[in-house]
Amino acid sequence: MTKYIIKRLIGMIPTMLIIITLSFFIVRIAPGGPFDGERALPEVVKRNIEAKYHMDEPLWQQYGRYLFDVIRGDLGPSYKYKDHDVNSLIFNSIPNSIYLGCIAMAIALLFGVSFGIIAAVKQNTLLDYLPMGIAALGLSVPLFVVGPLLQYIFAMKLGWFPTSGWFTEGLGWKTIVLPSVALSFAYYADIARLTRSSMLETLRSDYIRTAKAKGMRNSIIIFKHAMKGAMLPIVSYLGPAFAGIITGSIVVEQVFRVPGLGKFFVQSSFNRDYTLIVGVVIVYSAILIVMNFVVDVVYAQLDPRITYK
Amino acid sequence: MRKKKEQTVNEFNQVVVGNSLTKEAWKRLKKNKMAVFGMVVVIIYAIISFSASLLPIYPYDESIIDHQHLRPSLTKTSGELMLEQQYKNLYFKAWRAGRLVLSEDENQMVEELILKNETNKVWDYLYKEGESQREAGTFTFNSSEQKTIDRYIDKINTDIQITIDNLYYLLNGKKVKLSKLDYATLLDLYSKEINASADLIEESLNKEIRSQVTNTVKGNLADASEEDITAAVNLEIENMSRKDWEAKACESIIGKLESSAKKTIEKKMKAQIAEGSVEFPYKGDIEVNDHITAKVEISLKHMRRYFLGTDYLGRDLLSRIIYGGQISIAIGLIGTITSVLIGILVGSIAGYRGGKVDYYLMRFVDIMYGLPYMLLVIICMAIFGRKIFNLFFALAMVSWLTIARMVRGQIMSLKNQEYVEAARSMGASTSHIILRHMVPNSLSVIIVYSTIRIPAFIMQESFLSFLGLGVQAPYASWGSLIGDGVASMTLYPWKLICPSVAMIVFLFAMNFFGDGLRDAFDPQSKNQL
Repeated sequence: MTKYIIKRLIGMIPTMLIIITLSFFIVRIAPGGPFDGERALPEVVKRNIEAKYHMDEPLWQQYGRYLFDVIRGDLGPSYKYKDHDVNSLIFNSIPNSIYLGCIAMAIALLFGVSFGIIAAVKQNTLLDYLPMGIAALGLSVPLFVVGPLLQYIFAMKLGWFPTSGWFTEGLGWKTIVLPSVALSFAYYADIARLTRSSMLETLRSDYIRTAKAKGMRNSIIIFKHAMKGAMLPIVSYLGPAFAGIITGSIVVEQVFRVPGLGKFFVQSSFNRDYTLIVGVVIVYSAILIVMNFVVDVVYAQLDPRITYK
Repeated sequence: MRKKKEQTVNEFNQVVVGNSLTKEAWKRLKKNKMAVFGMVVVIIYAIISFSASLLPIYPYDESIIDHQHLRPSLTKTSGELMLEQQYKNLYFKAWRAGRLVLSEDENQMVEELILKNETNKVWDYLYKEGESQREAGTFTFNSSEQKTIDRYIDKINTDIQITIDNLYYLLNGKKVKLSKLDYATLLDLYSKEINASADLIEESLNKEIRSQVTNTVKGNLADASEEDITAAVNLEIENMSRKDWEAKACESIIGKLESSAKKTIEKKMKAQIAEGSVEFPYKGDIEVNDHITAKVEISLKHMRRYFLGTDYLGRDLLSRIIYGGQISIAIGLIGTITSVLIGILVGSIAGYRGGKVDYYLMRFVDIMYGLPYMLLVIICMAIFGRKIFNLFFALAMVSWLTIARMVRGQIMSLKNQEYVEAARSMGASTSHIILRHMVPNSLSVIIVYSTIRIPAFIMQESFLSFLGLGVQAPYASWGSLIGDGVASMTLYPWKLICPSVAMIVFLFAMNFFGDGLRDAFDPQSKNQL
């Protein structure tokens, strides 16, 4: 197991390298640069600025310099937000994105798993149809519709929650509710459907029948025997789900004005703020890769049939 | 005697008809009511959006400034809605000025609504109240207000919209279409028409064409410097042949003649409306002057009906949703097809060749899986320009991974089948075996997966359009319509609701249809997500 973990950790390095290289070159081969504003700068000024950011060097030299900086943990200065470096911009905003993502994931898991199990146990009753109907809706309604609709109904019409803001800005816990519910909706749908189908399959398997034949209580069968087996597909679903939560949070942060990382991402792509774009992509990818890794390890812990050499 | 055809017969001497896989699947699909319903909805959507140009709807990019933000209405014309809005404004002003008297409670309620930002409710309430008071005679408009209303009604009744289909010129006693004349005659004619020398006109045409070229060049080279643009424009104009130049000049002259004809016709029509001697919509020929006649269609501008309301530029939301659907569905279809083709290519090579090729291709796919690909798509769209082609390209490049894995698995399991062995022993080439034997045999899996992919594709496209990175104006897609609607959803909720509903219904139907297809092709499927 330890060997496997080490192997996976080493395997992350080429992936990260490819991501850095790819995003570094994509942003640079495109026409236009960060200092091409509405007004053309005088040639001398532009050359001085470019020299300051080492942009007059050949591309491979810039790449090498950047790679070296990243390994040291320095993502460079921002080209557009003067006097800020990418590190401070990212690490001031990323906690908000992480809070949002984690709360949304927790909500999706809590409701998805519990309703999925209830639906499987009470198959073909109202308790099955209702949550599954909502889940079917969740698959078809895009996030950027859910967000504004929730905002319209619960914030503007009913006035239960604030329309925008975030709790780290001292606006109270109520600000968390709408964004995280909106973000969790699609994942609730997937998780509930997955749980239901895998639970149904597990409940039909031989070892559950054996447990029933021994006269065990229903609750013990479900929570102790069936749950463990039925959770495997959900664990492997969580890896890709985190990728979705990251992109999804860009929309939610925009709709609900959450001061997270998503705002920087879209803005910096437009501004061609090279270091900031690549920095955000690196941070997001790192989160994603670490999450995939954690999911794989948890999967191995849950499923004794899997052996790692 | 030989029988014509040997038929298979079962133990009861009944003829056994063989069923193909597709036939079986179709039978199963028909039993699944939700899937059939989904299929019907999808087909209706497809028919409507792809025959959009034939439908009797207003053009999606035609904006009428008077018709901004009209609410959806099945019964009222745009003129009536405009008037209603005008009344609402006047009642509100009258209430503010204290002329529209309400009881104490009512006043307080309205004040509260204003505090809560419920503009629509305030307007509706005051409108209802005002109308009833006016009927009862307790409230009358003062003279200036009455004048505003009269002017408004007059405008609604007389504003016309003229579409010129063709202009005809009386040349030597014969009617000739203007668009069929050559440049020299057209120039001659135009110089007579406006009493200016031909040289002067030619000079101004030259200037005009130059500015046109400059605009297109600027659009293509957004970030180029001033000098580069001038150089590019000069090059473009030098390369332009005489024929192209004349075509452009003709177009410009005809445009000018049309706009002056429009003005004349409008004057004539206004006079006729005052006499009450015309009926709308009018279709036919109108003489502009002694030698020019126009074939026109004239309708009253404010008799239009907007079943789903209008947007901030006075464009018909219904036709924008239909044309937006066209783009969204097309992107879903073409994107899926492209990604499936790439997936089949990579997957079949990896699966059939095996060994090192397989290993490296699959490691590459694994690494691509680890990428936050939506972020890369966003970067591509922001940096390489927001063109529809780029959108297709960026989405297709990142979404072939799963299909490649699936095809590889299928091919690997089919590789050792007898019929493949037989084909190989008969000397069939690799490409023949893959294309004629393996791909058709894994097609059912591919088709099922593709139907599930289409809604995901549409969602991704809309997501980008919502962020402002996808389809650009004047084109619309569902995502960009929803994005527009979000900005003003408190005042004009229909702008958010109508496109959202259109999109949700389609995605819903598509999801059910895809699920049904999967169950039909693969009834033992375990992961019934």
